[in-house]
Amino acid sequence: MARMKFLCDADRCIECNGCVTACKNENEVPWGVNRRRVVTLNDGEAGEKSISVACMHCTDAPCAAVCPVDCFYTTTDGIVLHDKDLCIGCGYCFYACPFGAPQYPQQEAFGVRGKMDKCTFCAGGPPADNSDDEYAKYGANRIAEGKLPACAEMCATKALIAGDGDLIADIYRKRVLKRGGRPDTWGWDAAYGDKV
Amino acid sequence: MKRMLAISLLIGLAAGLAGCYDEPGVTVYEPGVYKGDHDPLLDKMASEDHRETLQARFRTVQTDR
Amino acid sequence: MKLIKKRNTAAVDGTAGIGLGFKGEAVTRRTFMQRSGLAVGGTAIAGMAPFSMLRAEEGKDTAPKAGVETEIRRSICTHCSVGCGVMAEVQNGVWTGQEPDFESPINLGAHCAKGASVREHGHGEKRLKYPMKLTGGKWKRVSWDQAMDEIGDKILQIREESGPDALWMAGSSKASNEGSYLQRKFAAFWGSNNVDHQARICHSTTVAGVANTWGYGAMTNSYNDMHNAKAMLFVGSNAAEAHPVAMQHILRGKENGAKMIVVDPRRTRTAAHADQFIRLRPGSDVPFIHGLLWHIFENGWEDKEYIAQRVYGLDDIREEAKKFDPKTVEDLTGVPEQEMYQCAKTMAEHRPGTIVWCMGGTQHHIGNNNTRAYCILQLALGNIGVSGGGANIFRGHDNVQGATDVGPNCHTLPGYYGLSEGAWKHWARVWDVDYEWLKGRFDMSRKYDAGGGKMAYTMNIPGMPVSRWIDGILEDKDNLSQKDNVRAVIFQGHAVNSQTRGPDMKAALESPRLDLVVISDPYPTHLAVMSERKDGVYLLPTCTQFEQAGSVTASNRSLQWREKVVEPLFESKTDAEVLYLLAEKFGFADRMFKNIKMDGKMPNPEDTLREINRGTWTIGYTGQSPERLKMHMANRHTFNTTTLQAEGGPADGDYFGLPWPCWGDAEMKHPGTPILYDPSKPVAEGGLCFRARFGVERDGETLLAEGSYPQGSEIKDGHPEFTADMLKQLGWWDDLTAAEKQAAEGRNWKTDLSGGIQRVAIKHGAAPFGNAKARCVVWQFPDPVPIHREPLYTARYDLVSKYPTYEDRKAFWRLPTRYASVQAKDYSGDYPLVFISGRLVEYEGGGEETRSNPWLAELQQDMFVEINPADANDRNLKDAQWVWLEGPEGGRIKVMAMVTPRVGRGVIWTPFHFGGWFQGEDLVDRYPEGTAPYIRGEACNTATTYGYDSVTQMQETKATLCQITPA
Repeated sequence: MARMKFLCDADRCIECNGCVTACKNENEVPWGVNRRRVVTLNDGEAGEKSISVACMHCTDAPCAAVCPVDCFYTTTDGIVLHDKDLCIGCGYCFYACPFGAPQYPQQEAFGVRGKMDKCTFCAGGPPADNSDDEYAKYGANRIAEGKLPACAEMCATKALIAGDGDLIADIYRKRVLKRGGRPDTWGWDAAYGDKV
Repeated sequence: MKRMLAISLLIGLAAGLAGCYDEPGVTVYEPGVYKGDHDPLLDKMASEDHRETLQARFRTVQTDR
Repeated sequence: MKLIKKRNTAAVDGTAGIGLGFKGEAVTRRTFMQRSGLAVGGTAIAGMAPFSMLRAEEGKDTAPKAGVETEIRRSICTHCSVGCGVMAEVQNGVWTGQEPDFESPINLGAHCAKGASVREHGHGEKRLKYPMKLTGGKWKRVSWDQAMDEIGDKILQIREESGPDALWMAGSSKASNEGSYLQRKFAAFWGSNNVDHQARICHSTTVAGVANTWGYGAMTNSYNDMHNAKAMLFVGSNAAEAHPVAMQHILRGKENGAKMIVVDPRRTRTAAHADQFIRLRPGSDVPFIHGLLWHIFENGWEDKEYIAQRVYGLDDIREEAKKFDPKTVEDLTGVPEQEMYQCAKTMAEHRPGTIVWCMGGTQHHIGNNNTRAYCILQLALGNIGVSGGGANIFRGHDNVQGATDVGPNCHTLPGYYGLSEGAWKHWARVWDVDYEWLKGRFDMSRKYDAGGGKMAYTMNIPGMPVSRWIDGILEDKDNLSQKDNVRAVIFQGHAVNSQTRGPDMKAALESPRLDLVVISDPYPTHLAVMSERKDGVYLLPTCTQFEQAGSVTASNRSLQWREKVVEPLFESKTDAEVLYLLAEKFGFADRMFKNIKMDGKMPNPEDTLREINRGTWTIGYTGQSPERLKMHMANRHTFNTTTLQAEGGPADGDYFGLPWPCWGDAEMKHPGTPILYDPSKPVAEGGLCFRARFGVERDGETLLAEGSYPQGSEIKDGHPEFTADMLKQLGWWDDLTAAEKQAAEGRNWKTDLSGGIQRVAIKHGAAPFGNAKARCVVWQFPDPVPIHREPLYTARYDLVSKYPTYEDRKAFWRLPTRYASVQAKDYSGDYPLVFISGRLVEYEGGGEETRSNPWLAELQQDMFVEINPADANDRNLKDAQWVWLEGPEGGRIKVMAMVTPRVGRGVIWTPFHFGGWFQGEDLVDRYPEGTAPYIRGEACNTATTYGYDSVTQMQETKATLCQITPA
């Protein structure tokens, strides 16, 4: 069974924040919580690259490993979800996650942590699929509707792709071939310099 | 004599109270096992149809048309 | 002691603190939030009403509901000219979901940040909810009836005293074709040409320059066609932020092997994807292009056959380009010879190549020179009229193309007919009104100075453009080419913080000459708060494009039909309904809406489009009937995403959206013209040649094409535009039906209301507008050959003596306009930094709409200025420090400094979307209750300066000066 994955093609990402707002729109995420963010390296300099980051839905998820109340579970195709009813807001998953995916909605200026919120791959949470309760707590459950995450479906340049990891690999492979070894391809500069 | 009776009544009462306490069992904690509610999405995902729906969706939407 | 039982599951305490914001959320700033890693202080949090808390108070829940029937409505995004499809999910009239529109060949489901957040228009937390009136400095709620009565009476009084030209109106590039067309018609029936819109300050120089080069002033190819380009040259265009979804097509083109060259003073996000980035000195576009042409001519790379057949006057350009040798070019532009050579070589060796330009090139006082230079480059390379080539002009707002084509322009009636007597007579016929009656609506008391020594009635003089409306109030009335100052202004869907000279604008608003300000907009806008005016301001809540149906024209000239998504929110009315109410008050509603059915007080959009179809023959807006457009939208999945042609299905053979010119009437079923001036196809299938617009010959040399003609044309050479007489001469007159003959007698292809002349010309394979050469020399313009002139405010004052600006003009678009007197003084000592401005992807235009959308506002919370590390160190500035940015005309703004190498040394950049502050003061208290946008900031144009294009009055915002000091 193939795993659900995200891939952000940094050669196509233009840092438009379409993915960020698509997620906020689809899941009605409040001000201050950003399940998805765009990270830009070398902002304003030659070699500027952007990549869109959210929860990576790790196979061996550090957040799940450290949670003291074991509120995380992983679906059969690799989506990492959690139960907010169990969450105690300790923040340990935030320590563990290398990508900063867990977010906490702030109540006041000096941060009283609430329940942890993170990207759900638009797969909702434990309550009944597409129920009002699930929407209020976790946002949309597009996977249950047979759709893919909103961020990837709305990406302006189709840089961000989500779905079956094998199919994503096919697309990316095609793109690399099409780019034909131009310096855009990751590693080309390292292997061949800019002489070729 | 009366005092001994009082004390023994007291001890009896204490013992009685101690005996009334209900200890139904010991909770064993299993680390790393999900403790939350069951997600109905997992049942849906088990089916082959659902996977094909998602793959078809992927082909329609995530490629350059 | 009783032990507490330990439970297996953690206690669930109701819904307290669950992540999705039932309680109020305060603002938090994360350091990795791009663009400004700053924490918001407590005061800022206090000032911000959290989105979710408001939602609860309002009682409207916009979350999707399980088990409720969902309707799908199709619309088009309202934020830029790419024209991305939007699928709205509506439940019980509430907009609860947004799905990507994968079937649209234009965006294939993609959105940028703005498009992905349009659902917020269905909430409208910060919208104007009901009409309001400013009395004694306080906003008071009034009813629509009261507002319209008071406004109408006041305007009629002003008309009585000062004539119809005392009313100045801004229409909108965000209105639909129907809405913007009615704005122009309204002004015509009112009796004034004083109506303008955003195109003036956006691409007016493009339209003038390009149309005068080869016939039409619009994008020649399309975003999708860029898949076929072998080279792409971007000059002053930041597509990654201004047209993000266009980047999808651009990057696909790049993956197909195209070379991408970006020329910009900043290393933009678009430049991050370029094969070659060239840093250009602001204002030096003409030397840059001539510098490229120098290399092209030097190496014989020009397309000689193409030039011989289709281009006039290139030899004059050769002469001019000789002056721009590599050393001169390096001095003027800052670009070294090797980079210039590389760029020219790339463009020459990778054809067809396309050029893209936007505000970086257009917003100069020599903007018309810049745009013509870009065209000439492409003509020299033979890149116009081929797939993968072209002049791909990316327009701005969602319907600026449509509004320019048929909407509120002060210098022309719909369809670029102009303002001559012939133009008015044509439209009087289309509008079914008596020409004399229409004439009588205008000030016919005397003639005024129309510029260049000519005298004319105001009916035939272009009105005051939106870049200069403040001078209509401030200027001495004896210097104006109309009876009196402007005494009333109506802003329908137009921001003011996008126009220069903020302090002058404040003075104009506070002037006793200005009796009335009417703002017809979904939001109050910066206009409502920027001045200390205490009375005479009305706010009329107006609908967004999602609350009405209508057509919209994307930059590639395709028309798309929008369905109504939700009913008008609160008490808002559509643009057209507001105009109808005013027309009723002024007594011409019956005449104006004679042939347009009314749905209550709302003019029916389909009928309005049909009226446009009946009259707009010049640019071929005649074949796009509502029925054909709706059929295209319903079958959009059948259109090929590179050619935009339908392959099978009911629309088989058509091009998506019937890009204009779509010749003849709807029955003729012309498929639209996807690529302008492309002779490889017959005209009947979308092919074309250059327009014969400038005469047949000049100085003994023919202006008509030689040996180049659209495929299948029976006239195998150039020819003038078609008239009835020409048809008779050719022996084609009898191909017309009897009815057509009657209508066409004595008329030409533009004024024949039957469309017969066009039909017959196309039947014989000839383009109705003639077949001519594109001209590199525009003899009617101040600079026939595009030359370089230094900006009015320049840091290189040493160049002014060699490249000076124009002489001052006494009457230009009704106003005195200064050039040399502004450039006479050298400001570069006190104001050494070149000040340019531009777009952010999260916001649009004046910004009120997008800064009121919490999903977008969160991403850009501070107005800022980009400053190079060297300039920052010179001034002891640190990143995120507050600074004063002051311009040479006295305007100053307080912004945060962002120290970045993105801008070069000596250049600073600000976004222009912010508003709601004025010279350091946050004007939040001046907004009506509950309407202050989440994010406010200084409008950069508070500090910008005087300077207007020599042909179109475009403002010079892309090259001015400033100084920055710590605050």
